Amino acid sequence: MTAGTTGEMPGAAAPGGKTWPAWPPRAGTRLLRLHAISRRVPAAIAAIAACAIGLRIALIGHWDTYGALQLPLVFEAGSAAAIAITTASPLGEPERVTGRWLPFLRLATALALTAAAAAALIAAGAGAHLAGGRLDVLRNVAGMTGIGLLCAAVLGGGLAWVGPTGYLVVGAYALYTQWHRPALTTPWIWPARPPHDAGAAICAALVFTIGIVVISVRGARDPVGE
Amino acid sequence: MTAVRMPAAPRPAPAQRGRLSAAARLLRLELRRNAMPWVLPVAAGLFWFTTYRKAMAVPPLWNLRAASLQSGALLAFVCPVAGAAAWMGSREARRHTTDLVTITARPRWTRQLAIWAATTCWVILGYLGCVAALYGMTAEQASWGGPLWWPVAVVAASLAALSALGFAAGTLVPSRFTAPVAAVAAFFALALSTQLINGSQSYWQISPIVTAPWDIGPDAGAGAFYPYLPDLSIAQVMFLTGLTMAVLGAMALPNGSGRRWLLRPAAAVTTAGLLAAGTAVALAGTGKLDVHGMIAIPALHDAASDRPLRYTPVCSHTAIPVCLNPAYASYLPAAAAALAPVLNEIAGLPGAPVRISQAAATFRQGPGNSVSVSLADPPLSGTPPVFRLLLPNQLPGTAMTTSGFAAAVRSSAGPAIVASVIGDGPSTFPAQQAVAAALSRSAGLPQPSLPGPVMQRRNTTVPLPAPVRSAARRFAALPSPARHAWLVRHLAALRAGRITLAHLP
Repeated sequence: MTAGTTGEMPGAAAPGGKTWPAWPPRAGTRLLRLHAISRRVPAAIAAIAACAIGLRIALIGHWDTYGALQLPLVFEAGSAAAIAITTASPLGEPERVTGRWLPFLRLATALALTAAAAAALIAAGAGAHLAGGRLDVLRNVAGMTGIGLLCAAVLGGGLAWVGPTGYLVVGAYALYTQWHRPALTTPWIWPARPPHDAGAAICAALVFTIGIVVISVRGARDPVGE
Repeated sequence: MTAVRMPAAPRPAPAQRGRLSAAARLLRLELRRNAMPWVLPVAAGLFWFTTYRKAMAVPPLWNLRAASLQSGALLAFVCPVAGAAAWMGSREARRHTTDLVTITARPRWTRQLAIWAATTCWVILGYLGCVAALYGMTAEQASWGGPLWWPVAVVAASLAALSALGFAAGTLVPSRFTAPVAAVAAFFALALSTQLINGSQSYWQISPIVTAPWDIGPDAGAGAFYPYLPDLSIAQVMFLTGLTMAVLGAMALPNGSGRRWLLRPAAAVTTAGLLAAGTAVALAGTGKLDVHGMIAIPALHDAASDRPLRYTPVCSHTAIPVCLNPAYASYLPAAAAALAPVLNEIAGLPGAPVRISQAAATFRQGPGNSVSVSLADPPLSGTPPVFRLLLPNQLPGTAMTTSGFAAAVRSSAGPAIVASVIGDGPSTFPAQQAVAAALSRSAGLPQPSLPGPVMQRRNTTVPLPAPVRSAARRFAALPSPARHAWLVRHLAALRAGRITLAHLP
């Protein structure tokens, strides 16, 4: 439920002639909370936490170079998929028509969850050998989240996991080609590029920005059927 | 109330037939309402990107293409199939239709089996399309041999098992997050399962992405000189089929999943599945690397597979024919061109080989995952003498371009052929070293060198002494016919050490 559906709020005249709701002090917080609950954000946070814990446990083991590089990517993809799935709306068209704050709520949710995922995975790697380092985690989480958000706009929120998990396979394959030539060096496959590679960072940031903009403005595609 | 004569009711159709048609109708419905077709383009795209392109880059040998197919297709399909199956498994709960469908005539297990079967049918269909594309192209390019179907069967069984596992996860935890978790977990389990393989007698070889001894990569010679061993593939299919049966059977066991009469058969199916899977894992642990580079499992091994394949080699028209296994026919022009200069130099000399023949490699397991690959017999043997060689792509390593292949043949087989005729080893006489260096120079081969001092690191070499190099330059400067004529007359004496550097023209 969003602001547009709480029809009994007093209105105030905006300069442009539109009527904007005058917010009671706690209405904004309540709106955020309701939006987060409707999108299963608590469950997404739990999934991100599970990914971070999984990464921490996995880092205890001894991995060869290839496994060590592939490992964080798996959990980054899991976190990105969890974020992308929160775009699915259980309310559909009514909310789309009446929720004027919806783009901002979607933007805030996606940004907050992406930041939380990056922070959780970086924290999980603290004190352990995290191949690629923090910048790698930040870049990969942002880029794959962008892919997930774009996928949500095309396939719907429920199937948005296809993007990050598909990209996980592409990224793992690109890492594999670093050992089995010819290597894939395009910056669009950023997991295989070094952490300080500017081209890869720009590509990941671009995909993330486009994903955020598309999902904020349009939202996830409503599923027609399966 | 009066009695009325009613015509006898028509006899109902046999129950079995009705049940089958209902099952088919249910399957058709599920095929139409399945998420897998939405995900298949992603799987097909991943297959093209990670498997097809890579397979097309390796030589058109059936065993190489089949190994690429098994590991590549599995990794391309694992996320889509596990995720889509989990998504389908959680459908009833997500749509809040669980109570609605519980009251229908069909047991819940039957409905679940129909959903799983539909998901599996879609993914197998997509996978077979990928196989057709890859094998169709290989059939056009390959010069010998035929498609290997065991790797195809392993992937098909894997997809059915992944579909069952994903579906069970979706049914047990019907959340929108189950699908991505299942997809990522399946990839994690599959891709990183090979990290635990240590040597050829490892239970972890049951992982379906393992096609050969781990860490040496696909062996180009497997299936070219000896039949392809399906031992490991059989164990993998057995494991995956057992796993599928166990998972699907276990889904009928919880209360409310089916009728009471279903419990016993379901328990039997689950037990049989677990037994099959456990047996397959135990069998995989008994596997060992055989001399032909494949994993042999004694309990599944067919002794007929140890007999070499019969083939007619393809030969070049060089001064000494270079003969390769017909599977490698596409390499013949490059190999013949690379060796032609050195073959021109030695053709007709006493003791020179009458044929250069490609041989099968012999594999030996080393410590850990290391494997040594070598020739079983000395390179030059037989009467008349035949020089046996291993092509560079029969050895572990990365795939080569044609020019890289030619350069590798020239630098490895060329000096060996010269050494086999002139003499080889650390005990060779200076005159032999000079003649070998001169022939190598004339044929454009790398210059020979001597082993380094014992105290130095292994595999280090030192250049030939200055007098030897000077004599080699002198001998190489002779016209080719004069050099050849001198060698015909003096080769036996040269090999016996009766010729010194001063005797060289």
